[in-house]
Amino acid sequence: MNELLIKYIQEQLLNNEMEEELEAQDDLLGDGILDSLGMMKLILYIELEFDTKVPPQDMVIENFMTVQHISDYLAQKKK
Amino acid sequence: MTDSTETTYMPLTGSQLSLWTGQKLNPNVPLYNMAHSFEINGALDVENFALAFSELVKRVDVLRTVFTEVDSIPKQFTLTDADFSLKTLDFSAKDELDTQNWLKQRSKEIFDLSKPLFDSVLLKVDEEERYIWFLNIHHLITDATSSTLLYAYQMQLYQHIGNGTLNDFPTIPSYSDYIKFEAEQKENKLSAVIGDHWKKKLASLTKIPEPYGNKNFDANSKSERIRLNLGAERTKKLKTLAQQADVRSWTLDLTLFNLFITSLFIYLHRVTGQNNLAIGAPSHNRTTKNFKKTPGLFIEVFPILDELASNDTYRTVLERIKNETGEYLRYAQPGMSTPEISRSFNVVLNYINASYTDFEGIHMESQWLHPDHCDPAHIIRCHVYDMDASGEVTVYFDLNTSVFDERLRNKVPEHFLKVLDGLIVDIDQSIHQPRLMEVLPISKEIETSDFHSVIEWFEAQVENNPSEIAIRLKNHTYTFDDLNTKVDQLAIHLSENGLKSNAKIALYLDRSLEYILSVLAVLKSGATFIPISSDIPPQRVSYILEDSRSLMVLTNDRLQHNISNDSISCINLSNNSYTADNQNTEFSSVSTTEQDLAYMIYTSGSTGNPKGVLISHGALFNYLNWAKSFYARDEKFVFPLFTSIGFDLTITSTFLPLITGGELIIYKEAEQGPDISLMEVLAQNKVNAIKLTPSHLALIKGADMQHSKIETMIVGGEDFKSNLAKGVQEAFNDKLSIYNEYGPTEATVGCIVSKFNKDRHTTSSVPIGFPIAGMTALILDSKLNPVPEGVHGDLYLTGIGLANGYENLSELTRTKFVDNPFVSGAKMYKTGDLARINSDGEFEYLGRVDEQIKLRGFRLELTDIEANLLKHEGIDNTAVVLLESKKAIPENEVVNCSECGLPSNYPNTDFDENGICHVCIAFKGYKEQAQKYFKTEEELRKILISQRGKSPNYDCISLLSGGKDSTYILAQLINMGLRVLAFTLDNGYISDQAKANIDRIVTKLNVDHIYGTTEYMNKIFVDSLHRHQNVCNGCFKTIYTLSTQIALEKQIPFVVTGLSRGQFFETRLTEELFWDENIDVKTIDDTILEARKLYHQEEDAVKELLDVSIFDYEDTFNKVQFIDFYRYSDVSLEQMLKFLKEKVDWVRPTDTGRSTNCLINQLGIYVHKKEKGYSNYSFPYSWDVRMGHKTRNETLEEINEVIDEKEVKRIMLEIGYQESSEGELEQQKLVGYYTGKKKIPSTELAKHMKQELPEYMVPSYFKFIEELPLTKNGKVDKSTLKSLNTSQLDMEAPYVGPNGDIEELVAEIWKEVLRLKQVSVHDNFIVLGGHSLAAIRVTARINEEIEMKFPLNKIFEFPTISEYGAYIEETLEKLLNEQN
Repeated sequence: MNELLIKYIQEQLLNNEMEEELEAQDDLLGDGILDSLGMMKLILYIELEFDTKVPPQDMVIENFMTVQHISDYLAQKKK
Repeated sequence: MTDSTETTYMPLTGSQLSLWTGQKLNPNVPLYNMAHSFEINGALDVENFALAFSELVKRVDVLRTVFTEVDSIPKQFTLTDADFSLKTLDFSAKDELDTQNWLKQRSKEIFDLSKPLFDSVLLKVDEEERYIWFLNIHHLITDATSSTLLYAYQMQLYQHIGNGTLNDFPTIPSYSDYIKFEAEQKENKLSAVIGDHWKKKLASLTKIPEPYGNKNFDANSKSERIRLNLGAERTKKLKTLAQQADVRSWTLDLTLFNLFITSLFIYLHRVTGQNNLAIGAPSHNRTTKNFKKTPGLFIEVFPILDELASNDTYRTVLERIKNETGEYLRYAQPGMSTPEISRSFNVVLNYINASYTDFEGIHMESQWLHPDHCDPAHIIRCHVYDMDASGEVTVYFDLNTSVFDERLRNKVPEHFLKVLDGLIVDIDQSIHQPRLMEVLPISKEIETSDFHSVIEWFEAQVENNPSEIAIRLKNHTYTFDDLNTKVDQLAIHLSENGLKSNAKIALYLDRSLEYILSVLAVLKSGATFIPISSDIPPQRVSYILEDSRSLMVLTNDRLQHNISNDSISCINLSNNSYTADNQNTEFSSVSTTEQDLAYMIYTSGSTGNPKGVLISHGALFNYLNWAKSFYARDEKFVFPLFTSIGFDLTITSTFLPLITGGELIIYKEAEQGPDISLMEVLAQNKVNAIKLTPSHLALIKGADMQHSKIETMIVGGEDFKSNLAKGVQEAFNDKLSIYNEYGPTEATVGCIVSKFNKDRHTTSSVPIGFPIAGMTALILDSKLNPVPEGVHGDLYLTGIGLANGYENLSELTRTKFVDNPFVSGAKMYKTGDLARINSDGEFEYLGRVDEQIKLRGFRLELTDIEANLLKHEGIDNTAVVLLESKKAIPENEVVNCSECGLPSNYPNTDFDENGICHVCIAFKGYKEQAQKYFKTEEELRKILISQRGKSPNYDCISLLSGGKDSTYILAQLINMGLRVLAFTLDNGYISDQAKANIDRIVTKLNVDHIYGTTEYMNKIFVDSLHRHQNVCNGCFKTIYTLSTQIALEKQIPFVVTGLSRGQFFETRLTEELFWDENIDVKTIDDTILEARKLYHQEEDAVKELLDVSIFDYEDTFNKVQFIDFYRYSDVSLEQMLKFLKEKVDWVRPTDTGRSTNCLINQLGIYVHKKEKGYSNYSFPYSWDVRMGHKTRNETLEEINEVIDEKEVKRIMLEIGYQESSEGELEQQKLVGYYTGKKKIPSTELAKHMKQELPEYMVPSYFKFIEELPLTKNGKVDKSTLKSLNTSQLDMEAPYVGPNGDIEELVAEIWKEVLRLKQVSVHDNFIVLGGHSLAAIRVTARINEEIEMKFPLNKIFEFPTISEYGAYIEETLEKLLNEQN
């Protein structure tokens, strides 16, 4: 899951312009890796790729701070 | 600057393309100039600064980008060699204002797109060190973020130069990377999902917002920027609000964006009155690190949508907006915008989170200069930013000046701020809570001490003018003295019969002397009169007498037997009994106060029973006191009494002459049949003032009234159309003043009035004007806040003229007469009318809020009719609707497609933001594809000689009308060496010159020629007029029929027609035929042939009257083939005319007055315009323009040619065509839908209704329906019921909506093609006007949707949706079984 997300962020959202590899623990919004536009595009990708729906009340920093947070959120959602 | 190496052309991004198009459409307007001035307050090394800028130009590719067209496709490329040296101008001698003006002017300079798109200069503005750097860049190569980047790069370059470290300066990324990236995104697998999302999203939008009731009619680009600084405190409060857990989103900027767009939505809702709104917002598209560093145009605008409701709070809107922005951010993908998406909004919110820093430690203030122009598609652009990071957010409104005049431009920030402050103060309050504006001043209260009762006024006239004539009735005249004596006698008689003051007395009478005597006698006695018109059915009379608890009813011989109430004392005035005994007695009037009731008028009520409106003497006084001075003229009033006495409009005529010493002429109604008194009034020409309804006026439109004595015309009772008013003004002489008087019975006759001004009143209805003395009108929203001007709202009335309420209906009285929140203790009446105030401050009536309607001046409640229909025992449930045929668009509001000239009154026409019609846009999509249909002259020759051996005398028939096209064909065919027989249909109306042309041509070309005729031609014309509202259809079909007969007889294999290419597209080459990319022309030919066979099967006069048996044989279509000459030849008009002049001696006929050779043609155009509202030529001509065979101006001239009505009427008489009394467009009909066990004959229902209700309330149609359709809220869906047309109502079968996917699919297609709003699955295709062209379109669409190949004729075999649906289902099932 983490790899898929990292790959999408690096290739599609960031056009492979990261100087260092993106880590699952990097703060996506806080470190300026993504802005809200990028974040919502990531959510669209998640929704289509994992065939799920992220309801508005779930769109909080607690679920989307890092790639790891997102994976956890999706895993917990699956249950 | 020149291009030194080989040029690499790059495509434009989507956003660039749309700006490029916008600039091309407005070539000399600086609408996309993005100019900034940066004021640098300190020492600057001017030389280094200029050097830095030269470096900037070298390093930033977009600053060297230019635009060009390669094969008419716009491209961009970057110049490699681009030296630019920044000039410094010394402005130190100029003052601040001069400098600002200079900057403003400079920012408006137009860029040449083929040269670098920037302009920059450095101004030295002070002897001290102070500079302004001016930088103006075309939007094509920049956006807001880009501007901040360029500023930052300039500063950094300046630094590096100063430090001598220019070589260390990092490379600035190239915009070409984004061009590539954007193009790839379109190929992305998500793009289909995204496109689909936007399509669905936009489907819910209805109407583009019109703030303050205005729109950008002329697509003007002029715009003014208005600044609104929110100040530090408000900014801080907003930011605090943005931190709240239930408000915040991903980032502070996103939250602030949400708060601003929420406020903008609420503001728009408040100033448009519209609920479904869209606002465009630029998506920055700088997703990657490099893009964040790249100058250039990245932004792309996508809409955010919301549907607001009156019960929304700020929070509920914000909650939805948060979701919406989330969705927006997901789907706003680079390169995914489309013209359709761009068209969906006219308001843009541009939230900018970029900012400028100080310049190298020197204080800098930036200014974004507005070039006074803006994209005309955006009437409001709202920029929110804090560019210099000052801690104070500023909102800039770029307002289109066509939409917002100077006064409104100042209102916008004021109103927006009130909305925004509402959010800051209390996010949980209603969005309607903040009051945008204060209440209008109440019109001056008049002194009630002036009060006089009607009787006091009347008696003053008796005393002052005893021998002046007061009443005329046929040959009798009565002076004021006579009248008073008779009134007194009657009053005494009534008193002897028990009449007391304050009693209610019903007057159930004709318009007669007795009626006037009764009114005056009752009032003299201090009692209240209740006028009941003689045409009210007995049941209703009986109800009124009981409900009002009338003490007595005054009536006559004719009407007395209708009264069934035993308990009521009935006084018959027919036998003059009241005059005999009391010859010389004088009656002393009972004095009345303002509070006493003067009269009670019963109006239609929602329960099925009428309701009595109680009018006091004070209210009546207020109206009459105003009216007698407002309408006063030099001469005394002479009014006719000719309208129904039960109608409060008649109060004016009844009293105004009698209280002013004028004259009342009584016109009695006919005892049976329609009331034609108006005709008598006009014919006798004795009155100088008249009060009537617009429906009355429609009757006299067109009559010659030049000699009429009428000088004062008061129109009331219903919506008054400006066209009608104008027509009336023109029919009468200049002395006529027309007044539009508005007022419900509950506010006493009239309380808002305007004097019609034909130059000023050009909107579709005449405004109702200004409130009268003693009355105030208010337009309020659901929270009783006054709405801004131009915005529609509920009309409330308040003042002395208000009724006391309804008799016996205290609950209803409480809901309609509510407390006036602006004046304590006062009431206001909720009219249920929608209104707005126009820019002149006049009130405009916009229709009803509820079920009450006005039909021919009568006010009625639909529920009243429903309740009475329900009394029929066979009926379970009912719904009554008023069917209003589509209103014609007033001529001054018609716009024409900017390319082809198609007028907006052509049905279902849609224009894009550039004023291009949907047909042109669609055609661009299949134009190339359609070329496959056309062939060469060589091919034509081959076809025409292919049957040589089999045809004895001729190769083909050439249809010759004598016009230029057919003459040209004939000559060309002869030129080809063909043996030709020319055929002309003499329809009886070929002009003499055209005939001379024909004869000359056939002689000159030496060709055999026959005239065909039929004795039934006139009948065919009449039938064609009824069926198609034109004459051409009938004529064409006759030509085809007769020429085929001749061809068969003479064994001629081909008939060559002269249809133009435009006509192909009009009549047969529908868009659907070209949907398949690999279309085979043979398939199209087959379909067209199939359609032609069906065409000859259509029922009409040609089929009925001519011998059409030949078309029953399939073989006929093989033996005689029709060939369209212009399918093979594409000659220009110029070439054609030259050829005709040189070779054939053809002369353009001048005796038809039009560009045709047929005299009856204009009759067809006249009828079509009247019945359908537009010319039948507007569509085919638009095709001629699209085909390049006519210019737009030529067609506009022809469509708008004046029609000789006298000649038209003469021909109508000649061919026996009976013109309908009113065009289909003007018809208003009541339709009663009902459910029950079975259908009940309409005659029976009409009879039943006539017993219960006056004639005007009886529906024209009764329609049995299995179930009443319901809305989502479970109410009867009246809009569905209203959308059936009259031919659907005439159908025997009940209305049943589509059921299941297949029926719904077919129904959707039928609705689109046949332009229906609603369709029943039992409706018949042919009866609905489905002809062969429609059959092609419907079948092609069905085939496309379900990927089948159903033959064309099936639609005639299964002519209902239900049958066709079953056929589809059966076929599909069969196929499925076969496959298994």
